[in-house]
Amino acid sequence: MEDKGVDTVLVVVEPTMKSVEVGARAAALVREKMLGRMLIVANRVRGEDDLATVRAKFPGEDIVAIPDDAAIVEAERRGVAPLDSAPNAPAVQALVALAERLVAPAT
Amino acid sequence: MRVAVVGKGGSGKTTTSAIIARTMARHGLSVVALDCDTNPNLGISLGLGDDETERLVAMREALDEGEQEHAPSWDDLIDRFGSDAPDGVRFAVVTRIQNPEPGCP
Amino acid sequence: MRVAFVGKGGSGKSAISGTLVRILAAEGKKVLAIDSDPMPGLAFSIGVDLTDVGIPDDAVEENPDEGGPRYRLKPGITSAEAIEKYAAYGPDGIRFLQFGKLRGPSSELFRSQMAFHQILRELKPNGWSVVGDLPGGTRQPFFGWGRYARMLIVVAEPTAKSLLSARRLARLELMKEAPRVVAVANKVREPADIELVAAHTDLEVIGAVPEDQAVVDADRRGRPLIDEAPDCPAVAAVRSLARTLQQEAGQ
Repeated sequence: MEDKGVDTVLVVVEPTMKSVEVGARAAALVREKMLGRMLIVANRVRGEDDLATVRAKFPGEDIVAIPDDAAIVEAERRGVAPLDSAPNAPAVQALVALAERLVAPAT
Repeated sequence: MRVAVVGKGGSGKTTTSAIIARTMARHGLSVVALDCDTNPNLGISLGLGDDETERLVAMREALDEGEQEHAPSWDDLIDRFGSDAPDGVRFAVVTRIQNPEPGCP
Repeated sequence: MRVAFVGKGGSGKSAISGTLVRILAAEGKKVLAIDSDPMPGLAFSIGVDLTDVGIPDDAVEENPDEGGPRYRLKPGITSAEAIEKYAAYGPDGIRFLQFGKLRGPSSELFRSQMAFHQILRELKPNGWSVVGDLPGGTRQPFFGWGRYARMLIVVAEPTAKSLLSARRLARLELMKEAPRVVAVANKVREPADIELVAAHTDLEVIGAVPEDQAVVDADRRGRPLIDEAPDCPAVAAVRSLARTLQQEAGQ
């Protein structure tokens, strides 16, 4: 990743102790090597407690929350793209919004 | 723009990458999605299906076994060994899964 | 018993292997848990205090043997002694041997990781029940990091991605002197899920763990499942798996 000119890194974590621990270590490594933007994607967030778990591990970082969503679980089980099987599902909409944010010119 | 998605296995990297890739493509960007995971499953999340995903993984493995000539550049790799995913995303598998090594230390 | 768990990341290897380790230890077995993942995970599932230390530097030296690995355990330190000296302690006398964990540049860990690999290669676990947890994916399993095991257990949940990974891992049966390779279905909702795992992997499914909110909750908190919810259906399923494994091992 270091020499391929990556300018945006998304660190995806679930609100579990293991996942935020691994994510935090990955984020630290990224910060050492990359000068672009980094966003933390908190996935499968069920409520404020979950968000708090992630915030505690990534103080001051840009965190995007993706809600826990049965529609994504269903799509995974069936092996279909969630964007196709459940385009209006909350988690799908949140990820689409994240993508649109990345595409938008910086203000 | 070059976006890298990282995180613990099972956290949702692949699902996230697929939706981002296809959404960007829908917004008119020319998108290449590269699966660099040691367990390449991005094809499934993009909507390519099991068989096509495994075909691309197998093709990547065949590269190193000398059955195909290596591509000289990224563009060439994507042209020759990639596949068209939904929304016009161009997709290729980068990692090579090696077969179990007999007698490997 | 000598088993090692493999499977796609997130499929539940650590929760199942960690719970198995606790169940065996609670029955009075001498259990050695092996964690070869450069990222932390198994320690949470067993209930071992998290540290990053693997095999310390002073146990390792450059290997004078040209044809061998670059680093090795210092002569005089056997695999068994290294375990006795460096494996952490868990509940019920569990010994926990782990890979040094990545925090900074991986070059610092190289010596420790090579020593760890040597210990695994030379493991003669007399009287120990050995339960290993390999990182997700095919890399370590295909490079023989689970060779200490007599049985490789592929953990698969009934999602397309997990099943595809499991199918790849089933190729472990093709290794020279391959151990027994079996599957365990995880996050099962209905019998059809178990059949899916069997069909995709062509492996014998020797256990099935149901989808269980207790597992999700314990994971959230980073606590061992068996401490948080000892009577939950998932723990019961791992007890059943433990019995099956013990029968297979003739114990």
